[in-house]
Amino acid sequence: MIEWSERKAYWRNTKMQMLTSLLPFLLVLIVLPLYAEVLNDMRVFGIPLGYFLACHGLLIIAFVTLAVFVNRQDAIDHWHGAHEDI
Amino acid sequence: MAVTSGVRLVNPQLGTYFGIFSAALASLVLIALMLEQLGVSDVAIRFLMFAGPIGLCGALGLLTPASDPNDFFACGRRVPAFFNGLVLAITALGGAGLMALTGAFFTVGFDALCLSLGVCTGFVFMGVLVAPFLRKSGDYTVPSYLGRRFESRPLRIVAAAVLAVPLFLLLAAEARFAAYAAAWLTDQPEPIIAVAVVVCACAMVLAGGMRSHTWSASAKAIVALAALAVPATVVALMVSNLPLPQMTHGNILRIITRMETARNLPYLAAPPLAFEIPAQGLEPLAKRFIQTFGSVGSVAFVLMALVATAGTAASPVLLNRPGATPSVHDARKSLGWAVMIVSIVFMTLPAIAVFLRQMVLDQVVGQPADRLPSWLQALELVGVARVDPTGPTVSFINISFDRDAAWFALSYAAGFPNVLIYLSLAGAVAAAMAALAAGLLAGANILSEDIVHGLRAEPATDAARIGTARAALGGLTFVAGWLAVAAPADPLKLFLWSLTVSASAVFPVLILSVWWKRATTWGAIAGMLAGLAVAVAGILLGEAGAWALPGVLAGAVGLPAGFATAIAVSVLSPKPGRSVINILEEIRVPGGETLYDRELRLQRLKTRAVA
Repeated sequence: MIEWSERKAYWRNTKMQMLTSLLPFLLVLIVLPLYAEVLNDMRVFGIPLGYFLACHGLLIIAFVTLAVFVNRQDAIDHWHGAHEDI
Repeated sequence: MAVTSGVRLVNPQLGTYFGIFSAALASLVLIALMLEQLGVSDVAIRFLMFAGPIGLCGALGLLTPASDPNDFFACGRRVPAFFNGLVLAITALGGAGLMALTGAFFTVGFDALCLSLGVCTGFVFMGVLVAPFLRKSGDYTVPSYLGRRFESRPLRIVAAAVLAVPLFLLLAAEARFAAYAAAWLTDQPEPIIAVAVVVCACAMVLAGGMRSHTWSASAKAIVALAALAVPATVVALMVSNLPLPQMTHGNILRIITRMETARNLPYLAAPPLAFEIPAQGLEPLAKRFIQTFGSVGSVAFVLMALVATAGTAASPVLLNRPGATPSVHDARKSLGWAVMIVSIVFMTLPAIAVFLRQMVLDQVVGQPADRLPSWLQALELVGVARVDPTGPTVSFINISFDRDAAWFALSYAAGFPNVLIYLSLAGAVAAAMAALAAGLLAGANILSEDIVHGLRAEPATDAARIGTARAALGGLTFVAGWLAVAAPADPLKLFLWSLTVSASAVFPVLILSVWWKRATTWGAIAGMLAGLAVAVAGILLGEAGAWALPGVLAGAVGLPAGFATAIAVSVLSPKPGRSVINILEEIRVPGGETLYDRELRLQRLKTRAVA
């Protein structure tokens, strides 16, 4: 069980982790499609780069973001003793 | 020491069971292929491919009954992360994400990405912002969670009423998608088959509620993913010698770009707020595949991605799933699996669209009108394609395809045996039915837990709670069947409206309930009502053409309105009391006993002490 004194620090770390997971990803999600037309002049695997990044890249970034979040948040839980005792 | 709910055992045989299911499905398809070669009548094969997969999934649903509320409403909290993610993914996709989105990719190309990106991002947001906390609170429905978090029964009722709007929109959309594919598969009139499909979806979850739904929806997900993978992989192998459609459609894309230039496909420039996703029915190719923002404007693209993100993250159909996992950690992990499965699907759909577009551009457009391929005539016969040439050769403007048929048209165009076409249709029915069943169940749980039993001071008996939920399921089935026959709008639009409404009415309050200590009951009630009102007004105004924002993007106004109202009213109302803050602090920390389970345990101890 988490100590009362740890709660504030735990929640501060959790909040920071939430922001570092979501804000960069949100920024990419908004900005990248707007520049897809320009990037389409370059190609990877024969796929125009803008389309490739929007269709494959963003989905992969989404998965990596969430996978990193799960592990980082787990570490935060254990560091502050907030984890479940299974 | 307190025993946490995470100790509950996960069934180690699950992988074996679903391996057996997959083998049964594969042998069903192989038997159907053999029967087709042996000359068995088409009607019999259609019936086998319709009844077979649905019968297998239905059997799983019927074989997993539940008599304990924890089993009925939360699958006993023992669904492993992978299966929970699988069900989350197939529920979010449904018929809209598989059939309509493939068609949208086929018609408008790049611009349809706003929907796939939005849904995928929605899962990321759900996993980071809400799912772990909903799991810790352990409530069976979203209104129960909000009621517990703010210690307020009026809020619980308001939330239940507000959530009904996106739920019914989703039910109508998915029932229509399921009916469309099932009517094609069985060759029966759509209204009759719509009612049959809705009744089947209800029957699958009636016995065990969430328990039945979890296992039958996992099976439906396997059917749908197989039905998606088989045609895409075989065509990829045919055109590029590599069975990875997600990666190999790049070369085809280059060929398409050249053909589009040769065939004079238009190079459009949409106004920033335009949102021209193909409507239901026959539509010609709108623009070049790779070109950006030709049908959907740049601002509308970003707004749609954000609205779909918020709408998916706050979807009432998805948010009762985290409660079914064994622990908070598994709840987070299940969202990771969901993102992975959804991502793979969303990389496959454009590949299917690209393959089909290449076949159309190559074999139909620019050809003499009297020498059209036989697969196109077959599609015309079904009524999902139309060619009306105005000159000696067919131009791209003369040929139109049904939006929801693109996935199945690929199997026709590639010359597959009928059984593989029917497999795709069966997969579409399964996906739409999974979403439909999830919607029915979410609605029934809310009706039983929050409306009927939520108001009473005395906790209801187990039998009463489950009985009410089953009765509510029956009632909702009736409503959904009626909606499937009577709902006038395009099902994809209904689906997008559902996203827009849940983004504006549910998302702000849900986020603030976890991440802002100062949020109060009045703020939450006002935020939900304001978000709903603005979203509905925005949809009506947009559909009437009274303002520039299209109806499906009403969430772009509704979401800020919901946030602003909830924050303003919270600041103006008195600070929340100590006990509310205590509950919030417990919800925020993963460790310790699940709040709802502790309440149940204490209740049982009390009744035992009295007896």
